Amino acid sequence: MTDRFRYARLVALAFTLSASVALPAHASKDRFVIDLVNEPSSLDPQVQWNPDSYYVYRNIFDNLLTRDEKGEIAPQVAKSWKYLSDTQISFDLRDDIVFHDGRKMTADDVVFSIQRITDPKFGSPQLGQFDQIVKAEATSPTTVVLTTKSAYPALLAQLVKLSIVPKHVVDAVGKDAFNVNPVGSGPYQFDGWQRGVQVTLKRNDAYWGTKGPFPVAVFRAVPDSATRLANLQAGASDLGVTLDSDQAGQLKNAAKAKALTGLTERVAYLRLNTLKPPFDNVKVRQAAAHAIDKEGIVDGILGGYDKAVPEMATPAIFGWSDAIKAPAFDLDKAKALVAEMGPAGKAEIELATAPVFDQRVVQAVQQMLTDAGLNVKINMSDMASYLKRAQAGPDATSLLSYGRWSCACQDSDGVLFPLLHNSSAWSAYRNPKVDGLLEEARQTLDAKKRQDLYRQVHEIVAEEVPLIPLYQSAAIYGATKNLKWQPTANESMFLNRMSWTD
Amino acid sequence: MWPFLLRRVGQALVTMFGVATLIFFIQRLTGDPTYLLVPETATREDIAALRHSLGFDRPLVVQYLEFLANLVRFDLGRSIVQNVPVVTIIASRLPYTLALAAGALVVACGLGIPIGILLAQFRDRPIAKVATGFVLAAQSMPTFWSGILLILVFAIALGWLPPSSSGDFSHLILPSVTLGLLSMATFARITRTSLLDELSKDYVRTARARGVRTSRLLWRHVARNAAIPVITVAALEISNLLAGAVIVETVFAWPGLGQVTVQSILARDFLIVQGVVLLGSFVTVALNLLADILYSVVDPRIRLEVAR
Repeated sequence: MTDRFRYARLVALAFTLSASVALPAHASKDRFVIDLVNEPSSLDPQVQWNPDSYYVYRNIFDNLLTRDEKGEIAPQVAKSWKYLSDTQISFDLRDDIVFHDGRKMTADDVVFSIQRITDPKFGSPQLGQFDQIVKAEATSPTTVVLTTKSAYPALLAQLVKLSIVPKHVVDAVGKDAFNVNPVGSGPYQFDGWQRGVQVTLKRNDAYWGTKGPFPVAVFRAVPDSATRLANLQAGASDLGVTLDSDQAGQLKNAAKAKALTGLTERVAYLRLNTLKPPFDNVKVRQAAAHAIDKEGIVDGILGGYDKAVPEMATPAIFGWSDAIKAPAFDLDKAKALVAEMGPAGKAEIELATAPVFDQRVVQAVQQMLTDAGLNVKINMSDMASYLKRAQAGPDATSLLSYGRWSCACQDSDGVLFPLLHNSSAWSAYRNPKVDGLLEEARQTLDAKKRQDLYRQVHEIVAEEVPLIPLYQSAAIYGATKNLKWQPTANESMFLNRMSWTD
Repeated sequence: MWPFLLRRVGQALVTMFGVATLIFFIQRLTGDPTYLLVPETATREDIAALRHSLGFDRPLVVQYLEFLANLVRFDLGRSIVQNVPVVTIIASRLPYTLALAAGALVVACGLGIPIGILLAQFRDRPIAKVATGFVLAAQSMPTFWSGILLILVFAIALGWLPPSSSGDFSHLILPSVTLGLLSMATFARITRTSLLDELSKDYVRTARARGVRTSRLLWRHVARNAAIPVITVAALEISNLLAGAVIVETVFAWPGLGQVTVQSILARDFLIVQGVVLLGSFVTVALNLLADILYSVVDPRIRLEVAR
């Protein structure tokens, strides 16, 4: 080796070193690490339904439709759509989508995906979101026509969650094998799953749309939120989900991380059992509504990230109305109303809750109702028992129940109908007028008319108080300092909508 | 010998059958996982349909017999939530639990025994007071707190170790220390007590009278005798470490068996819980059976007594 050659190598080395120093840290970062709470249950998008699963698989699969940054329904696999009649809608599909195994996506795959998820024998937990669809047929390689039982205005909102799976792969390998080795068409493709540890995705460089900014994305299971916070502070992760407001406060002074927050479609609420004393008396229900200081909860306990709401909806949900006046916080009025009841107002009221909810809020609610003169006792049970009890019907369910509702469809049909209509297991309220309004809204395609129907329901809820809507929930994430991402109302985590700031 | 062996194996099988039955019915007392699987908008009919397709609407006796029939074929079934074989899940988690328990045992013995010796040897000196304080602190700190504390110091402030998750050897250090510190106190106390016990015996006085140096006396004569209770405790402590790992596994996102068990209980993923409980009881029953057989080999009186 000549001296000159050695010299050249040294220069090259020095250049490389200085280059790697001069570049921003993230440019050399090829692994983007995301801390979830638990590992995904499944990566087959038509099987399981929970955030830890869909955070991951929504990056592997394309959906028929999506929502843009503003939350509006936008094209994805379907380029456009038009109503053929009240019950028939035709979708024009993209012809340039290729699955990760190289095969082209066609209308047959879309039809197959719909038939698969709506087949009762398949047993998808998501069946209820799509069972209004009675027929799906491909009328050309790029056209699919869907037929619904009746006019169904929430259909598009539901199709935002319809992931398209490849017919040829699922047919060939079967449900169980597809679950452990999913093939999609999304911006990331499945790379590996180390059970209990992490799921690895790699960027699909042939993606038809916006490509992902990270070559590799790793989703880990980190159950303890304090540990997720520590990982962010230590720089061991790039994004962590589900932090609380105190933890967001701690990130304000962190060197490596910051908090990212977004208001979601989730509404925190109290459900009152209107069919049993004392809440069968509308005055007691109104007393409870006047007793609760929503602003106090949001600012005093939740750090101001969430937003008090007067109605059982959020601005991210179709059916939100600006005109609703809820009973205002007025402790004296609440006390007077309870006092009118006499000894009947002293009966013990059970407030059902589960550990997943913020117990500080539940305790504050208990305190506020107690201040008004009601005798409220918290009954916490695990989530499975809580859900069973909450859906046990007015005879068996608790007098009060705290919850946070999300239909994952951003449409009032998925909020008000299950919580109020007498046919629903969640409902502890009987009002034929409300039932009629909800049924009509479910079958009206005219958006303006629907909006007005929901406004009427909101007004009745404010007057009759079968529910006390509390606040629009915020989702708090922690992220590395230079990540640019706006969390969305539907709590999706699309990697290809993130970027680095420079 | 053979009648004894058969009887013991028979008893072990009955025990296993009892455990399987108990865990099956206890879990079903709390309902089923259907409500956790569906979106909130699911109607009564949707829930009923899913329950039917999962088979939870069948009579409990039918489900139980099916469970037993599979068990006889060593088939633990598939996870309801994850739809993968239970054996796959347990096999992927078990090595992590064993590694953590081993690491914690190393920390517990490696710190606990020397500290115990120190406490015995210098029992009236200030250094023993300091060591006692340390032992007391380690024993009193709950792991979810000491774990976070260690993460804050060694991962965030100093940046020496990774804060959580599994990976190379460095990931094992903090969880092992957190879990091991608890047992460390037990080892220190047992070592101290049994050393002091031995030191007050006649042979020690005799040796001292003959002019044997304290350190030689301690290491050559006393330590050996004092080791017996320490070894007994170590054997018991291993099961404590395996059981106590649940919280540490959660704090450090360590993918062990404890973590998956708790998650599966909350998710009502019956088959995983059954699998883990059966595995645990199988190991316990098998080890007891082995010990019984060994005893009888060593001491024929035992098998005679049982046979009578």
